[in-house]
Amino acid sequence: MYSVIVVPPSCDGVDEQIRIASGERLAFGRAGTNGGLTIAHEGVPRVAGEITADRNFWLLSNFSEDQTYVVENPEGAGEHIKVAPGRMDAPVPFEFSRVVLPAAGDLLSFDVWAPRHVFRSVARHGLSGAATVQAFALDRTKRYFAVLAALCEPRLRGESRAPLPAVEQLVERLRPTWPTVSRSAVYWNIDYLAVKLRLRPGPDTADPGGPRQNGKKESLVSLALRFDLVREDDLTALADPTPVAPAAVAPAAVAPNGVIR
Amino acid sequence: MTGQSYAVSVPKGYRVGPWEIREPLASGAFATVYTARLAGGAQPDLPRQAALKFLPTGTRTPRQLRHLRELAEREVELLGRLRAPRLIRMYDTLTVDDPDHPELDGATVLVLEEAEGSLDVVLDRTPAPDSGPALLAQICEGLHQLHHAGWVHGDLKPANVLLMKDGTVRLADFNLAAEMEGTHAYAPAFATPDYTPPELLWSEMDERGTRIRPTADIWAFGVLAHVVLTGAFPLPGGSTEARADAATRYARGAEELRLSPQLPEAWREIVHDCLAPTHEDRSTRAAGTAALLRRVEEAAGTSPSARLPRLRPRKWRGPVLAAAVAAALLATATVTYALRDQDQAPAASAPASCEKPAMYEDETHGRGYTAGWNGTWDFVIKQGDGGSQVKEAQCLLKHRHGITQVGEVDGDFGPLTHAAVVTFQKRAGLDADGAVGPDTWRALRTAAKN
Repeated sequence: MYSVIVVPPSCDGVDEQIRIASGERLAFGRAGTNGGLTIAHEGVPRVAGEITADRNFWLLSNFSEDQTYVVENPEGAGEHIKVAPGRMDAPVPFEFSRVVLPAAGDLLSFDVWAPRHVFRSVARHGLSGAATVQAFALDRTKRYFAVLAALCEPRLRGESRAPLPAVEQLVERLRPTWPTVSRSAVYWNIDYLAVKLRLRPGPDTADPGGPRQNGKKESLVSLALRFDLVREDDLTALADPTPVAPAAVAPAAVAPNGVIR
Repeated sequence: MTGQSYAVSVPKGYRVGPWEIREPLASGAFATVYTARLAGGAQPDLPRQAALKFLPTGTRTPRQLRHLRELAEREVELLGRLRAPRLIRMYDTLTVDDPDHPELDGATVLVLEEAEGSLDVVLDRTPAPDSGPALLAQICEGLHQLHHAGWVHGDLKPANVLLMKDGTVRLADFNLAAEMEGTHAYAPAFATPDYTPPELLWSEMDERGTRIRPTADIWAFGVLAHVVLTGAFPLPGGSTEARADAATRYARGAEELRLSPQLPEAWREIVHDCLAPTHEDRSTRAAGTAALLRRVEEAAGTSPSARLPRLRPRKWRGPVLAAAVAAALLATATVTYALRDQDQAPAASAPASCEKPAMYEDETHGRGYTAGWNGTWDFVIKQGDGGSQVKEAQCLLKHRHGITQVGEVDGDFGPLTHAAVVTFQKRAGLDADGAVGPDTWRALRTAAKN
């Protein structure tokens, strides 16, 4: 069971991603020793460093003599950490990271994701005993959460059979709060959400293009709504809806709970 | 609000149906439990005092609505259909109808047997209590009753084990319980990580939730036994996340399981088997709750013959009868061993179905037919019950014994099923009481086709 995903530079697909489990190490460098990650550039040491998955985060060791490595949080508005030469096992707290290696005037980078970061409800503090918690851990400040909220929006606003927004509509919906959003960024986040929510690959994953994405979107939305991963108050993560007024929610129209007797 | 930590806050003296709310007893992630007393005169089927569990399922409640409703439904369904000595008893369900209290309006209320407290509280006060082994035997018994009925608890932990006034144990909190559908059950995506088997810590999700199997409860029982007997978790780490991580490393074979030296010798192997790293290992080594219960009772030193009769239906009470049954079981075991080899292949190639019940071999009871819904030989069901045992009985009545008056195979033990059982019992020369107990199960499974 992996806890960290390493995405090599110019990675073409899921097959090239390297998944490492807690306690496992992955070396990176020019040589790509022992099945490690190869970074083919003359300016990179043969063995430049090592990544160790630890619990739900990871550690970075810098094996170079004189280069400082930088780990950026691509969603963190410039947030980054520096790992000095010779530093062993520096913990990296970001869910998404871009490791940047300076190499003879070039900057080389690869990505590391830590999708198993844990978030727990603070409301339960003070209760004794082991808490029953939701099996999903979503960071409500991340872009993937905004994408999920936008995907769920039509149904959360009261139309249970509303068609899911197309990717173009999602881009439009997200732009006010995320000016640089693009189609590929939305696709990327949908794929990442499927990893994050551990969607069992559906039967239609083999189909290329549209239908596959649609099946994935549909599964994400039904899982998210079923387990209340996105609620109506979460729609504030999006800008106010531009079209007319939001569809009336009319709580009175909701059938009363039919559990009884 | 008394405090942020209450899932539902109900004022003292509040009336729900015939009940008047007293003090809060406990609060969990989804619900809050209050003591309540019966206002007005006594009622035939209700106790004077009960525990009322409030689940905020109202349509105006701002909180996580959909899944709460599902969690409430699961518990109501299980408790409505299943009654067993070690499972908490539900007397009634109510819905709060009170538009003036939007927080409460629409809440689901379960009227439950009142307990003294939870094992959690006991362990807080006295880690590794002397009564630990006896408690574990009863907990295992409850688990057996649940699994036997075709359900997985999904959240076994000290807070969900209740202690009654008479010192007996009840399993409670069935919000995550799931009924088996073939080899799996679908549980909602919640868990208590310290009691969750490694394969479910980061498991794949269906739109219906997590797929779980009874061995998940076996793992939880292993953790619970270690906690009860030694006062510490079996896996190392100072936080839940660290221990969950240790569990995944252990399951991967990267680390060994090092049980506490304080764990009594008699329990070491049991806990070790319950904490086998994978579902497959656990089902081989712990081999179901029936076998586990025997080992646990032996380790606990509770003599099954001295203690069990209290808890079983009356037919099992007499020691003479119990001895006779044991002898009969031994006899069948010998016979079945002789038969086993020659018949295994056809049995394996034809899976049982309702329409075509197939021969199988029960470890304890020997050979008999099953319709694939439930493997019980002694779980008593009668009119008003429901569940996979009922479905099993209906299938056997209709498709093994040709008694079509049973009507539709729907898992509800109604008047038609009752009449069909009576017909069958008369035909088989049994006491025609319409309840399917051990004798009737045996006849249903082994009697020749009419």
